[in-house]
Amino acid sequence: MRDMLKITDLAVYVDDVCLLEPISLSLREGEPLTILGQTGSGKSLLAQAIIGLLPDELRLVGQVEVLGKTLSLEERRALWGREMVMLPQEPWHALDPLMKGQEQVKEVYQLVQGEDKTTAEHKTRLDLAHVGLTENGHKRPGQLSGGMAQRLAITAATAAGANLILADEPTKGLDVTRRDDIVRLLQARAEGGSLLTITHDVAIARQLAGRLMVIKGGALVEEGEAKQILNQPTDDYTKALIAAEPKQWPEPKLAEVGNTLVLEADTVAIERGGRTLFKDISFSVHQGEVVGVVGDSGCGKSSLGDALLGLLPLQQGQLKRLSSASKPHQWLKLYQDPPSAFTSSVSLQQLLDDLVRLHKLDRSRIAPLMARLSLPEGILERNCLSVSGGELQRFAILRALLLDPVFLFADEPTSRLDPITAQEVTELLVELARETGCAVLLVSHDPDLVSKTCDQVIRLS
Amino acid sequence: MILRTSQWLGLSLLLGLLLFSLLGITLSPYSISQQDLNAILVPPNAEHWLGTDHFGRSMLSRMAHAIGLSFALGILCVVTSAFLGTTLGVMAVWAGKRVDQALAVVVNILLALPGLVIVLLFAAIAPGSFWVLYIAISLVQWVEYFRVTRAITQGVIQSPARQSSNMMGFGTWYQFKRHIWPAIAPSVFTLAAFGGANAILTMASLGFVYVGIQPPLAELGLMTVELFPFYSEAPWLLAQPLVVIALMVFGFHLLAGKRA
Repeated sequence: MRDMLKITDLAVYVDDVCLLEPISLSLREGEPLTILGQTGSGKSLLAQAIIGLLPDELRLVGQVEVLGKTLSLEERRALWGREMVMLPQEPWHALDPLMKGQEQVKEVYQLVQGEDKTTAEHKTRLDLAHVGLTENGHKRPGQLSGGMAQRLAITAATAAGANLILADEPTKGLDVTRRDDIVRLLQARAEGGSLLTITHDVAIARQLAGRLMVIKGGALVEEGEAKQILNQPTDDYTKALIAAEPKQWPEPKLAEVGNTLVLEADTVAIERGGRTLFKDISFSVHQGEVVGVVGDSGCGKSSLGDALLGLLPLQQGQLKRLSSASKPHQWLKLYQDPPSAFTSSVSLQQLLDDLVRLHKLDRSRIAPLMARLSLPEGILERNCLSVSGGELQRFAILRALLLDPVFLFADEPTSRLDPITAQEVTELLVELARETGCAVLLVSHDPDLVSKTCDQVIRLS
Repeated sequence: MILRTSQWLGLSLLLGLLLFSLLGITLSPYSISQQDLNAILVPPNAEHWLGTDHFGRSMLSRMAHAIGLSFALGILCVVTSAFLGTTLGVMAVWAGKRVDQALAVVVNILLALPGLVIVLLFAAIAPGSFWVLYIAISLVQWVEYFRVTRAITQGVIQSPARQSSNMMGFGTWYQFKRHIWPAIAPSVFTLAAFGGANAILTMASLGFVYVGIQPPLAELGLMTVELFPFYSEAPWLLAQPLVVIALMVFGFHLLAGKRA
């Protein structure tokens, strides 16, 4: 087995601050390497440094060898597409929104490989059939689901024949079944070459097997065979990462749920864009109860929550809000993508002040809640763009709790957070809901997460 | 808002012209119509700093008044059309489909006619009236603000951030102040700067074809056409209104800045 990629003491600095501590690794032919770490641990910088896409303000130290030769930045750039390729994180940002899928693959054959039109078309057809997109080749990226778009992006990216593949969070925002598809596709693509995957998802590391490196805060913590590390982690950080997987969470303590009904849904049906998403769904929600909603992407999980909040009309059925004393502002929502749920025009402090003034809240409640949610004092002076996702989601919970919510719809509140933060946020949310008697509707694409936290589960298909 | 160097330059240019106009109007001993037929077409000298025109009127007084008039019209038009366009643009998104459709009809009618034709039409109804010019130019210009505001607001209205504020019980004004205005403000500012330049150019064009402000008032376009016959005898006179128009437009365009 020869080394496809060898890195010696690679480090990234901005001015004199070290963002990624010196790291050495080698990627052998036919043996995938996975780098596991929390968000903000410098993982993405590593991938950008290897491929040569670091922003200009960052300084790179160390050596990168590709196929046994030490290459400079320009030489590495010359290998893009043909020898090595970096897969996009979010396919929507990588694909041309106005161009049909098959054209985007064909273009690579024609312009990079220099093949004539018929050969390129033929190869494109084969490629698309290989990833199960034959039927969808004529669609534009906007008409594809997240999983399909990612498969298309991978096909287009690897069409030029690169067999050294760097994948940075290739399954971000995809649900479990789609995630497995993508991982299998990556494995297949990397045959005869090699695959370097960067992820925060322990499940992906387990699936890819091969070698594993665990990174924390820009420094290497543990390295070795993936199977061995994941089954017998020696480092505390690795243990924490593995324990944060919903599958490994402790069994839920089933709290006694109050008898007071908050909401009753009777044979509800919802349509979106002329298509009925689901029908005949009936359930009731009690005070302090955590209700989970699971189902594949696009099955209407979020639409159900929106309908319960009155943001979407019902096609059929009835909703009864049974807590008569509740005011409209006590029915709230936590959003999937925390930064998009806040305005960036003012500081978080200002947002809190606005709320306090509007509802004449007791200001003294803020400090204990902040402590409870372990929000540092300093974050209030910043705006939502300069606070981490986990902190912002906890701030969103804080803002909701100040209004004494009766019902909280949490729409995948942790899917964009890394596992350790996700576990913290979910646990806090459930705990606080039980304490305050607020009913929570928790939507998630991860069945494990729901089964470990919820008192009642609604399955949509 | 932080201004770049070029925007500061544009702003100081405009303020400089405004200052010249105000000082000229208050301090010049000559009125704009005071003739001295013994001193026509004289070059700049100690008594008439910018010379005199073909009727022996002080160019300094006339330029000062003309610049003041252009600024007054430009600023009035910008404020009116920005306010109208932004308000209606936000309303089109927020107040439901009916309002949106009704506004779309009005906007399409205005867009179908060339702006200058509408202004000419109004100017022909009441020649020489400053207020009719003002109404006509504002009527043409608000459409741009409307379209830009409407497009941006559509995104903001759908955003989780606005939805969240709405659910928490915040009112219309709060949602506008915190969510919509921060999103549209940079575009409105840029449009306003270009709009100021356009209003001034439109008024000058109308003056140039004699349907705008009427003599004996001083107006940049009117002065250009009045002084045109003397371009070989007294080129310095014709140059004055032309240079000032160019400087004003240049100043507004610099102020608009470069969008990153």
